[in-house]
Order: sequence, then structure tokens, then C-alpha cells
Amino acid sequence: MNVLEIRGLVKTFTLHTIDGRTVGALHGVDLDVARGEHVALAGSSGAGKSSLLRCVYRTYVPTAGRILLRTSEGTPVDLAALPDSEVADLRGRELGYVSQFLRAEPRRAVLDVVARAGAARGMDPEAARDSAATALRRLGIDERLWAMHTTVLSGGQKQRVNLAAGTISPPRLLLLDEPVSALDPVNREAVLAMIADLTDAGVAVLSVFHDLDAIERLATRVVVLEEGRVAADGPPAAVLRDSELNLEVAR
Amino acid sequence: MRTVTELAGTGGPRGIFDELSKREVRRAALTAVAVPGYQVPFGSREMPVARGWGSGGLQVTLALVGPGDRLKVIDQGEDGGVNAANLRRLVVGHVGCEEETDTRRATLIQSRHRIPETPLRADQTLVLQVPVPEPLRAVEHDVREQRRMHAQEDYARMWVGLYEDLVRNGVVTKSAGYPCMVNGRYLISPTPIPRFDVPKLDQAEHLTLFGAGREKRIYAVPPHTRVEPLVFEDVPFEVEHTPGAACRHCGATASYLVEVPSMDGAVAWVCSDTDFCTRNREVR
Amino acid sequence: MSWALKVDGLGRVYGEQGPRSLPGTGPEHGTSVSPATGAVVAAWDVGFEVAPGEALGIVGESGSGKSTVMRCVAGDERPSRGSAYLSAYDDGRTDVLALDDGARRRLRIDRVAVVYQDPAAGLDLDTSAGGNIAERLTAAGGRHFGRIRERAAELLELTEVPLSRMDDPVRTFSGGMRQRVQIAKALANRPPVLLLDEPTTGLDASVAAGVLDLLRNLLERLGVAAVVVSHDFGVIEMLTRRVMVMQHGRVVETGLTDQLLEDPQHPYSQRLVAAARG
Repeated sequence: MNVLEIRGLVKTFTLHTIDGRTVGALHGVDLDVARGEHVALAGSSGAGKSSLLRCVYRTYVPTAGRILLRTSEGTPVDLAALPDSEVADLRGRELGYVSQFLRAEPRRAVLDVVARAGAARGMDPEAARDSAATALRRLGIDERLWAMHTTVLSGGQKQRVNLAAGTISPPRLLLLDEPVSALDPVNREAVLAMIADLTDAGVAVLSVFHDLDAIERLATRVVVLEEGRVAADGPPAAVLRDSELNLEVAR
Repeated sequence: MRTVTELAGTGGPRGIFDELSKREVRRAALTAVAVPGYQVPFGSREMPVARGWGSGGLQVTLALVGPGDRLKVIDQGEDGGVNAANLRRLVVGHVGCEEETDTRRATLIQSRHRIPETPLRADQTLVLQVPVPEPLRAVEHDVREQRRMHAQEDYARMWVGLYEDLVRNGVVTKSAGYPCMVNGRYLISPTPIPRFDVPKLDQAEHLTLFGAGREKRIYAVPPHTRVEPLVFEDVPFEVEHTPGAACRHCGATASYLVEVPSMDGAVAWVCSDTDFCTRNREVR
Repeated sequence: MSWALKVDGLGRVYGEQGPRSLPGTGPEHGTSVSPATGAVVAAWDVGFEVAPGEALGIVGESGSGKSTVMRCVAGDERPSRGSAYLSAYDDGRTDVLALDDGARRRLRIDRVAVVYQDPAAGLDLDTSAGGNIAERLTAAGGRHFGRIRERAAELLELTEVPLSRMDDPVRTFSGGMRQRVQIAKALANRPPVLLLDEPTTGLDASVAAGVLDLLRNLLERLGVAAVVVSHDFGVIEMLTRRVMVMQHGRVVETGLTDQLLEDPQHPYSQRLVAAARG
């Protein structure tokens, strides 16, 4: 069953501050992600991978097309046309987003950041703290850091805290934008294992990874984007072998 | 050539208060009775006493009094005080009513600082002279804002005043003119009567009219009307009382007593209400 | 009913109220001053809903009308037209903007609270911190001195004001501490709707950050519906999840807060965000 169905998605930026010129990012993308499926987006930089994730999360306003999300209640909603307040309600519970850009919450303790994310999704505050502790431990965040503000963390630590916050009480659809870009090999392993578990648990994942190895290990399907269009869609091994992208990504 | 006297015409009616002015005061007083505690504006006239010295009370008294009345005027509880005697003589001389000092026999009583100890009856009227009628002046200077607060029954800032007093001093320090809610609606300042006298206004048999000459306001506490001092539930309203004090003349302990200096430095107390004290002595 | 506060077609015109004052004003004309009548169309056709537990931001430069909207909703000013509904008042059936002054004022006791930029606007500086809170509590009928003290202490604790200062006049407090007292007072009777007008503007950066953290925690915890008016994107980003952009008295864009920052649509929004991102 598809959790996400994207049809004819177009995203064009109009830059009013630069003589009103337009920049096209997506030119009619169709894409499905089923329950328990991990679809990795591949393609050169500027191909529209991050834009696609952001359109689904509605950080970007889609210019045209439909983004159907089948919620846990079973009703499909069009994220492209849904009122802001309803999108906001879906975020977290149905729709998770972990970004490569670490917008660390200022002046808030690490454990708090993760626990609050759980509480915001309706977890009991106590249970949220327990889950937060479990997630942080699993992602290798030293317990001595838990009470510190997120701003003192390294890039890789922030990234893992972000992931813990984004996956505590896992959403129905998880959007991952380069979640392991700043990690050393050991911690990278922990993160990849955690993502694999989420997919096994039935979470639909749509991701952008920089490294081929992660895609090969985690993705059940790969969709290649080229200049805002779908260029290939299929099993990872086949797609990556056929694609010129292969080399590009690996390097 | 015409003289000044001719120019002035035949002059108004004799007396210190003309009939039209009396009527205006009566109309204001009736409105005041109809809306207990509400300050009714009236066109205060010049009186042969200075404003702030009982001119408002005098106008109310003059509007009410008739030749058949028995008028009692007290100052600080005394019938014999200079101000009291002068006011009384002024009215009596004009109206031809009787002077009275015995509270029980008086039909009309004008006062400023006290309510007599002897409970008043339904056939008696108390007129209180008010120097500052606006209780909100303590917390708000803007007259328009004061009016708004009354109109909207917004007395929160009075409560804050009380709160601050309790926090700073541990007790409510406000003594004379303690603010009261009338009939659960309007806040009044009951003139400089001591707290001791405030309960006498609550559910009284008699009508009390308040006249403020300088501020041009009349307000009323009609008979059988609730008058509740502003107090917190858990901080009881306490009236002035000195344990062990008794009147040097009549021995009363339950009346409002005032301290008098004595030659040897010892503290002595006497009844503030001289009429009550005299009669109490006779009983003994 | 999913909203705690709903505003419809709100407008505020200073000067001639007639329809003649509207043409030639708004973002497309670059002014809110009517060429025909000289009237200032400070706000026009502004509408929004805020859900319990949600914070809506209103951004714009000074003169954009954002504070006018807030003052009209708060009852500090009468709008020229429009209506507003509170789910906590008559189940949202009565237009609270049409209530008389007394009734509007009573809404401020326990249904809509405002935190102003200037603490002096919301506080009596000569009264103690506890006394300022007592004002709200007694307005709501509190008549028990002990319980008023308890609740005031509770609120000061909530807003992180040292209890040792509870009985000091607010005038002796620092700017940040005054703002905390103002917040405590606003929350005294647990209002379901909270309006914040530039709540940290005018404070030193480090002090502002502390007040902002406090507000963020309170909004998360108390489940109030909040409207945050600010020209500061940092404040908007931290406190709100949806936002409305105003220019020359009109709403030019509404969106999710992260969307406004990442993908602003309207030319004016793009300029504002570009300027803020420096």
C-alpha cells in the first residue's frame, strides 16, 4: 500500500528580488513510496532531490501537482493543497523530516530536545524521556552530553540528535536529507542500523544520501532525478549499475 | 442715573438656599437613593461656610429640613463643638426648627466624623458631610478613568491597594473613610468616620445621605442596604478597640473611645459621642 | 471547533471611514494612505484562526499594520470593521469586537491576555510584582489574600522571577525581569488566548534570549493559542509554527513558518527574509 503518491509535481522559484526571474527545480515528478519501503533519491547536485523532500514536507510550496499522503486513518490528503494548519498537525506524527542542516534548538538540553519531540507527538512525557534516552544511547551520544545545550555539540553529534528527535515515536513517512553526512564510520553504522530498523517496522522512507554504500544497504528502490525529472526508477543494484550517476555518487 | 441697588433688581428670595436649589438637591438625593452608592452630581451652591467645611452636608440638610424637625449636628461626636454649634444655629435660625442633642429625639442628624452610638431608627435621617467622595482617588487620578471604573464595576485596583497595604504593613492601615461596597455594586468612601462606625451603615434602619459640596456629589445608603467594607476573606475587618480602655466619665468600654491627654502623663479615654456619654452617666 | 481565536475581515481605518478611502492603498500601491481622503488604512481584510496550543506569527515592518491588528483583537482599539470570535466566549458564537467596552474589558481578565513590548504598558511599576498579579486575580473575583499570594508566587516561579522579589515594586526590576512579571500577570487567570506584541524587542540580546526561552517553554506547556507580533524573524521562528506577513495594512502571505523562511512567495516576503538572513 502506498503511503506517498506524488503526481506531476512541479516546483518553480520566482526570485522577485532578482528581477523576477524564475528557476525551475522540479518539472513534473511522479513517485510512490509504499509502507515499509525505503526509496532513495539519487542524482547530481541540483537535480532536485532536496527540493522534492521539501515540497513533501511543505517547507517549499509546490507550484503544481499532487502529493498524496495516506495517513494512519487511511484517508489520502493532498499535501500540496492542504491548509497550513493541517500540514502542521501532520508534521511529526505522520510526517517526519531529518535534515542535513542542523538547526539546533538554542539553549535547550540534548535530552530535552529529543524528549520534547516525542511529547509533541502525544507521548507521555515520562515515556518520551525514556525513549529519548534509549535513542541517544543507541546513536552513541555520550550520556555526559545529555544535559548540555545542543549548541555545544559537534556537527556529527547534532546530526544524530536531530535523527533521534525525528524518529522518536516514528512517523508514517520519514524524509531523510543527508542524515549521515557528518558522521565518522562507527556512528554512521549506528545511524544506518537505526534507519534500517525503521523501514523494517513499516515506516515509509524517502531519502537523499550522499554515499552509494548507504543507498545500497538501506534502499529498497532507487529513483534517479535529472534536472527535476525522474530519469530512472527500480531496484538499487540495477539502477545504480545502469546509471552514470554511479561514479559520480561514489566519488 | 441708576444706583447699583436698582441695577441689582429686587433681589432673590431671602435666605441662604433658594427653593430651586433645594429642589435640585432633592432630585439628586432621590436619584442617589434609587441607585445606592452612586455619586450623583449636583450644582453645589455657595454656602456661608467654606467648601470642604460641611457645605455639602449643609445643602442636603437645608433641602430636607422643615420647621417641624429636630436637628442635631455633631463634630467629632460632640454637639458642643464650634463647627457643630455654628452649623446648627445657622440652619435653625433660617428654618425655625428645633435644636436637638439627644440622638433619640432628633429627626435629622448632620455629622462628619461619627455615626451616633445610639442606633438610628427608620424615622431618622443621617446626613454626612463628605470632604473627598471618590474612593478611587487613592489609586487613580484621572477622573474619566474613575468614572469608567465605577461604570464597569472594575475595582481590582482598590483590591491591589489593600493587598499592597497588607504586604507592606502586615495589617490594613486605612482607618477613617474605609472603602465599602454598597448593595454589592458601587464602591463608596463613607467620609472620615472610623472603621468602628462602618458596620452601623450595613442593613441600617435609617437613610444616610452623603453630601460633598466642594466635589458637587450626593450619594446615599438607603435603609436595609448592604454596606460591606472591602476586605479579603481571610483577613478579618477589625474595628478600632483598645483592650482595657474605658470612658473616664461613664465607664463605657464598647463605645468609640478617644484618647485624652492628662496632666500626669497617664492615658485616659473618653467617649467620642458626648450625648451617649451623658445619658450613660445618668443611667449609672 | 478547532480554533481558540478566529478573526474575520478585520479592518482599521484612521480618518474617513467610507469606501472612498480604500482605493489606491495596499501593497500594490505602495502605501496605506488613501490618495482620495488622506485616511490611513492601517489594516484591511485581515483574517486568521489560531488553534489551542498553536502560535501564529504576524510579521512586517513598522507601519505594516501588525500591531494595529493586535490592538484591535486585544480590545485596546475599535476596528472599523470585521469580527472576532473566541471559543471560550459563548462557544465562539458572539463577535467579541461588537461587545460594549465593559464586556470587552472583562474578556481581558481571563480569556484574552496581552503582553506588550513595554512592560510599563501592562504593569503598574509602583506596585509590587505580587500586587500586579493580584490585580488580575482580584478582577477575576479572588478575595482570599492567602490564596492570591500563593497563586502569585506560583506564577512568578513559572516565569522564573526570584520569590524574594515578590514584594518589591516592579520599578526596581530590570527590563527582562519586568517582562517576566508582565508575562506572569498575563497568565494569572489561565487565559486560552495570549497576544504577544514584540515581547522581547527592546531587551538586551542575552536578556531577550532568556525571555524568549521562557515564552517558548510556556507556549509548549500551557496549550494556549498565541498570536506573536514581531519584526524579528528569530522570535517568529522560535515561537510560531504558522505566520502571516503584512505590508501596508494587508496580508500579503500566509504560510508555515519554516516555509516562509525557506520559500517566501510574495516579493515583499522575499525582501524581508533576505534582509533578515543578511
